[in-house]
Amino acid sequence: MTHDHAAGAARRGFLTSAAGTVGAAALAGWSLVGGAPSADAQSNPTRRQDDPAARRRPFRGVHQSGIVDAPQAHGAFVGLDLVDGVDREGVRRLLSVLTDDIDRLMSGQGSLTDQEPELAAVTAELTVTVGVGPGVVARVGATAPTWLAPLPGFSVDRLEDRWSAADLCLQVCSASPTTVSHAVRRLTTALEPLVRLRWVQRGFREPFEGPGRPMRNLFGQVDGTVQPDVAGQDAGLVWNAGEPAWLAGGSALVLRRIAMAMDTWDAVDRQSRENSIGRRLDTGAPVTAPPGAGADAPADLFAKDGLGFHVIDDAAHVRRAQAKEPHERFLRRPYSYDDESGTGLLFAAYMVDPVRQFVPVQQRLAELDLLNIWTTPVGSGVWAVLPGAGPGEMLGGALLA
Amino acid sequence: MIRRSLLAGAAASLLTLSLTACGTSSDATTPSPAAAPRDAAATLTLTDGWAKSTDSMPAEARTMTGVFGTLTNHGTTPIRVTGGTSPAGTMVELHETVRTPSGTMQMQPAAQGFTIEPHGTRVLKPGADHIMVMGLTSELVVGTTLPITLATDAGDITITASVRAFPGAQESYAPSPVASHSGH
Repeated sequence: MTHDHAAGAARRGFLTSAAGTVGAAALAGWSLVGGAPSADAQSNPTRRQDDPAARRRPFRGVHQSGIVDAPQAHGAFVGLDLVDGVDREGVRRLLSVLTDDIDRLMSGQGSLTDQEPELAAVTAELTVTVGVGPGVVARVGATAPTWLAPLPGFSVDRLEDRWSAADLCLQVCSASPTTVSHAVRRLTTALEPLVRLRWVQRGFREPFEGPGRPMRNLFGQVDGTVQPDVAGQDAGLVWNAGEPAWLAGGSALVLRRIAMAMDTWDAVDRQSRENSIGRRLDTGAPVTAPPGAGADAPADLFAKDGLGFHVIDDAAHVRRAQAKEPHERFLRRPYSYDDESGTGLLFAAYMVDPVRQFVPVQQRLAELDLLNIWTTPVGSGVWAVLPGAGPGEMLGGALLA
Repeated sequence: MIRRSLLAGAAASLLTLSLTACGTSSDATTPSPAAAPRDAAATLTLTDGWAKSTDSMPAEARTMTGVFGTLTNHGTTPIRVTGGTSPAGTMVELHETVRTPSGTMQMQPAAQGFTIEPHGTRVLKPGADHIMVMGLTSELVVGTTLPITLATDAGDITITASVRAFPGAQESYAPSPVASHSGH
């Protein structure tokens, strides 16, 4: 769940400071030019007309959207299986339809056959991110990366068929739940002759996430905040460099559906909750951090109390999830779920190689993690996230080249 | 070549009628090989063109399909579309939807064809004006393209529709009780 990566903490802190500096400079600038600080804000039409409903994220580019960009409040993961008889040419047809309709939807038009394009007009930062499983690669006759396979079974797993791997995974995210629902409906019906809908896993985040209001899972824990520096020196942890060649610019998605036992969690006091994760519930800071520290503060795994016990429990999540190697880190983009199937977390993480980056961490957590008392993985899947499509290109064009 | 050019793919499929995928054909308009009297191909286009795939129809309905999109006349004189041909079927008709004396909506051939005014458009959509390709000679599967050569008073114009799955437009294909196609 809340995998921790101390190495990312310092950088995130730096970014926060940098933003603070810019803000301070702007304020200083206003005072230097002698007042009228609000002139720009009042006259800037872009700022005044910035309608959240009309915000768009780019479809065309080297990478797909929906990965390193800020997670939108609503998400759905859609698992699709290819029907029998879909061969290489069938996969090409599928990807051509997907490319065209995603392009249209992300730009605020209806899909090509859309009879309710009014619902598409609210883009609200819609992203649709396409991943393919080994079944798709096999039908195309291309070479799959070795990691493109179900994760090894972990002792804590209680995986259910209804949430298990599918041939394709579409991650559909937007600030508007209506937009997510419409896009899922249009895309799945557009592909109907080629695929069977296996599952839809819907999730949400705090719509009012922002500075001082981090992502929290439904245990109330600050979650998914300490991240690799994907725009800088850690880009190589997320973006595939060309192994295999058809995946250059792509990534890998690990989606784990983690059921959270709310009834037993409710019975746990706050101190025990903090001990289980090794973090404070209010700020997300490690329990070893000084007062006032944020979630990005490094955890002191060696600190001991007066009795000689580790301050951070030997089985605390933060300790067990700590990266042992620099590459044991990945970008998390989680969503909570709370529906008739239960309550939990859609742990979605992007990386280059799940076997190298994710499995060692998950192995340690499966062996020992106090959070295992209340959490159970019930679904799991790995997909190769296709590179972005440039102008005139089709998603997966290189896969079919 | 790492990434395939879709436009090139579209052109290839038009020439060979191979059922290749094409994701960006919505604006495709290809001049007819036959000389047109006044360069009609440049003046009439079908944008966002699509046709209902046969793999989204019940088996008994797979003899004809509807074509939809927006016909735009870019020229300065009206263009009247009177019919057409398609290598995918034996017959192409232009249909309109009218209310019958009994109050039901019914499809029927547009006796006057479709006239598109200069700089005007005509929207073809399910339940309204559309082009029918009848006597389909092969399956039209999702993700392929369907070329149609429209006969107009300005010469032949070839348009292209993306073949897409669509649950609607069933009224055009049901053998009964809709009798609108009984005359064909």
